[in-house]
Amino acid sequence: MIDSSGTAAVRTDDLWKVYPQEPAPVQAVRGLTLEIEHGDFVAMAGPSGSGKTTVLNLIGGLTRPTRGRVWIGGQELGSLDDKKLARLRLERIGFVFQAYNLLPVLSAFENAEFTLLLRGVPHEERRARVEALFKEIGLEGLEDRRPSKLSGGQQQRVAVARAVVGEPALVLADEPTANLDSTTSAALLEVMERLNHEHRTTFVFSTHDPRVMERAHRLIRLVDGRIDEDRRVEPAVPAR
Amino acid sequence: MAEDHLWWRVAWRNLGRNRGRTLITTSALAFGYLSAVVMVGLTDGMSAELVENGTRLLIGQAQVHASDYLPERSMYRTIGGQNGVDVADLLERLEAHPDVRAAAPRLYGGGLVSGGEHTEAALLLGIAPGRERHVTTLLGHVTEGRAPASGSREVMIGVEMARQLGVGVGDELVLVAPAADGSMGNDLFALVGIFDTGTPGIDASYAVLALDELQRLMAMDPGRIHEVALTVSRPVDTPAIAEALGAYLGSDPPTEVRPWTALRPELAESVALMDSMNFIIVLIIFAMAVFGVANTMIIGTFERTREFAVVRALGSSTGNVARTVVYEGIVLGALALVAGVAMTWPILVWWHRAPPDLSALVGGFSWSGAQWRPVLRVEYSLEGPVLSALALFLTAVLAALYPAWKAARIPPADALAGR
Repeated sequence: MIDSSGTAAVRTDDLWKVYPQEPAPVQAVRGLTLEIEHGDFVAMAGPSGSGKTTVLNLIGGLTRPTRGRVWIGGQELGSLDDKKLARLRLERIGFVFQAYNLLPVLSAFENAEFTLLLRGVPHEERRARVEALFKEIGLEGLEDRRPSKLSGGQQQRVAVARAVVGEPALVLADEPTANLDSTTSAALLEVMERLNHEHRTTFVFSTHDPRVMERAHRLIRLVDGRIDEDRRVEPAVPAR
Repeated sequence: MAEDHLWWRVAWRNLGRNRGRTLITTSALAFGYLSAVVMVGLTDGMSAELVENGTRLLIGQAQVHASDYLPERSMYRTIGGQNGVDVADLLERLEAHPDVRAAAPRLYGGGLVSGGEHTEAALLLGIAPGRERHVTTLLGHVTEGRAPASGSREVMIGVEMARQLGVGVGDELVLVAPAADGSMGNDLFALVGIFDTGTPGIDASYAVLALDELQRLMAMDPGRIHEVALTVSRPVDTPAIAEALGAYLGSDPPTEVRPWTALRPELAESVALMDSMNFIIVLIIFAMAVFGVANTMIIGTFERTREFAVVRALGSSTGNVARTVVYEGIVLGALALVAGVAMTWPILVWWHRAPPDLSALVGGFSWSGAQWRPVLRVEYSLEGPVLSALALFLTAVLAALYPAWKAARIPPADALAGR
């Protein structure tokens, strides 16, 4: 699934997102241009309202830009209709949401295998992949539990499993540690770092959390929808 | 296949999330089914009552005549022509047909009935009383005396004619009728019975004799009859049965078989009107159900806006999102159907077997020339319940279409942001 054609994992060009609102339209993203390489581990920081989530939504094709363009692995999203965009998300992008957003009527296992099912992966392969991942991220024995019977950390790990089980080229995580305690956050970040390291999956986080920023290889700071700072950093916590 | 299974699973489990709401919606649909089937059963019961009352009093459900008898009703055009027919053989052949329950021969004559100083024009009807009882209810309406017997000069008249003539049972009447030989037949008859059908036209104009007595009065051989009245196995299907009987009898002698729909077209129109009413009633019931179920499903969809957004974000197509909502409608319809059938059939069978008798509240009445019993009769066949089941399914699916469309149009980013 990982695009190794040499093109960037993510590229944006003069990206704008304006929400029509009274009394004045809100410019959530203002002329954002950036490029993220394959296998990068990027933290997008900034105060509330700085446009972090909107940028992730634009990169993930969850919303269309008011102006500007987005490429995922060389594919320009604006040229895709809704159906093709959904297919691209399914095959190339994994999402981790702040509020976990697991489907409450499905078990942990069923939530994790969700995208594989949509992709038509055979039953045995789905089982093998999810079981291996659950073992890796410490969810063994919780397969049949519904989200309501899982702790916040367990739910977020299921959400991560759901995002990475299909080995997407890109994982977009919107404040994944916001609702977790420090121990659970650290464990979750280790899981993501390992996936990044072993599978060369590109991770882009929006975060306030210094623990996430400490592990990032690149830090992009947004203020008022614009890039205020963009620099490569040496992870304070080395990946295991 | 596996993906389809996933959406069915999600639909099924979503219905289990708010069991109270699912129960109420299912019950509403099931009651809609019950109402539709019972209403159809009631109007079918009214139709059956209408047909039976309108045909069983006098005309029967089908009639066999000489092919040139109607519409003039010439006294000479008896079955088999001037030579008549072997009546016993004809009746035997007719009753051998699987759709014929009973057959009764008849002869008609126009004449006068005199009693004392009064004379009234009358339609003379010759019957075989033993057979007539199995075909019509005329003899069941004798309120005084008894039916005329064969081989004796006896007559029975309606209550209105008796009143006009000023006669009662035991009095003597003179009957005069043109005979087949060109003479004027007349004789003295004992009035042995008075009938009251509740239909003034019949009670004022019919004088009923035994078949052989009328044949003698009209100088006709025993083989000469104008009509054989029939009851059939399925009154509603009489037109088809009549057609089959016509082919069955062949052309020796030349006959035609007319169903009650041709003999009493106004009855057929009333039945058609009731069928239309059925359709409208079912339409109204299920239209109400559509809006009720759609409202519930829209609320359910609204509550799950974020979930639909997540599903879309993860790469589901809009079609898949819509599909899961429609599947919910289908599962809801199936549950409602099971509940509806379980509720409806016992009620329907019980009602059919023991129709409530409303005679304490209302008396009998006459409609479309037929006397009605004050009973709430329910009839059922497979057609009504099956069509209602289909309507219920359509209702559930139709009710899911708008919520499905709404769910499919949820913008993922906005919904995830709670906008």
